[in-house]
Amino acid sequence: MQHQVVTVESFYTQHVSQLQLRLVAGATGLKRVIREPTVSRPGLLLSGFTRYFAGRRVQVIGNAEHYYLRSLPPAERQRRYDLLFSHKIPCVVVSRDLPPDKKFLQAAEKATVPVFQCPLITMKFINLATLALEAMFAPRGSEMGSMADILGVGVIIKGESGIGKSESVLALIERGYSLVSDDVTRVTLLDGREVMGSSPEVTRNHMEVRGIGIIDVVAMFGIRCVRKEKRVDLVVSLKPWEEVSDVERLGMEQEFVEILGIKIPHIILPVRPGRDLARLIEVAAFHQKLKSSGYNAARELNERLMAKMAEATEA
Amino acid sequence: MSATRANDDADALSRDLVVTNKLGIHARPAALFVKIANRFQSDIFIEKDGEKVNGKSIMGLLMLAAGQGSRLKLHAEGHDAPQALNELESLLKRNFDED
Repeated sequence: MQHQVVTVESFYTQHVSQLQLRLVAGATGLKRVIREPTVSRPGLLLSGFTRYFAGRRVQVIGNAEHYYLRSLPPAERQRRYDLLFSHKIPCVVVSRDLPPDKKFLQAAEKATVPVFQCPLITMKFINLATLALEAMFAPRGSEMGSMADILGVGVIIKGESGIGKSESVLALIERGYSLVSDDVTRVTLLDGREVMGSSPEVTRNHMEVRGIGIIDVVAMFGIRCVRKEKRVDLVVSLKPWEEVSDVERLGMEQEFVEILGIKIPHIILPVRPGRDLARLIEVAAFHQKLKSSGYNAARELNERLMAKMAEATEA
Repeated sequence: MSATRANDDADALSRDLVVTNKLGIHARPAALFVKIANRFQSDIFIEKDGEKVNGKSIMGLLMLAAGQGSRLKLHAEGHDAPQALNELESLLKRNFDED
């Protein structure tokens, strides 16, 4: 799991178009770190109440703060600016395109705190910025394995190099399912409960097939055969037949693997020449779908069997 | 640059390397690397900035986008790990026979 360091610069450059940010002062402070994935409105601080000030967050100045500051005499206003910038805040965003006054920009410049202007209304900015920051702070990592979307079930296919992961994915694509990522899958934790899989930017929509080389899946099979991201619902590990000692025969119990601390259902598929791996992975995905809707074939069958035996003993 | 150190497991080795060829690890060097890595039975991994990928996977290597000057850590685990590391290190040091 990688820990994300979110700088003002990365926040700005990644969301500049969505949040319509314009840097107006303090460019030297772009390397400042945003330490909490949310925003703060510094109204109370500006009015003099300094306790509990959430200075680790992005500070948003909206109508209330702006017009409050304007209502103060210049000398007092300056003191409040100095108070704000005496805290180690990452950056300030002024919404509604409100014009920060010259003294404010000078104070920011002196404290090397970036100031942005943004045309959005404050609430809209806060909503978008919070979502953007949440995504940037989300724990992430990468899993060795290809990923496909099989009828809405996101499946990561793992297995040692050369066991047939890419071939299976190729066969799945032929059956009409979509590729999420080949060989390496990026994973991100959403809201602390769902794992999202996606492809690394560089290799997106491409696969490597042994003996052929790198292929462009979109060019070859069409846009419907790829998916940018998908929730991970199942992990299938392909293992050589000899290495799987106690292979699952019933499927009554559910095995799990952990990805980013979340338990994901896990199935081990023994590989042997002649086994149609893609078909097996497809069935595993359907099986998972049934199970997650509350149906467990093995258990149902067992209950029927037990009922039958009970009947026989009663008679 | 090439401090080989043994971990707890006697067969698990790692080595720090720097990408020196001008174009970095693009498609051709990645293919060369993977070709050599696949000759060995050991598990081979490459790490860059905390991200670890399978050294036998082209897509993995390409994903790292390891340009010139990138610092990599090579891991090998298995009975032929030392040879694997030696050959892969020599490939990087030869700049993938490119420049």
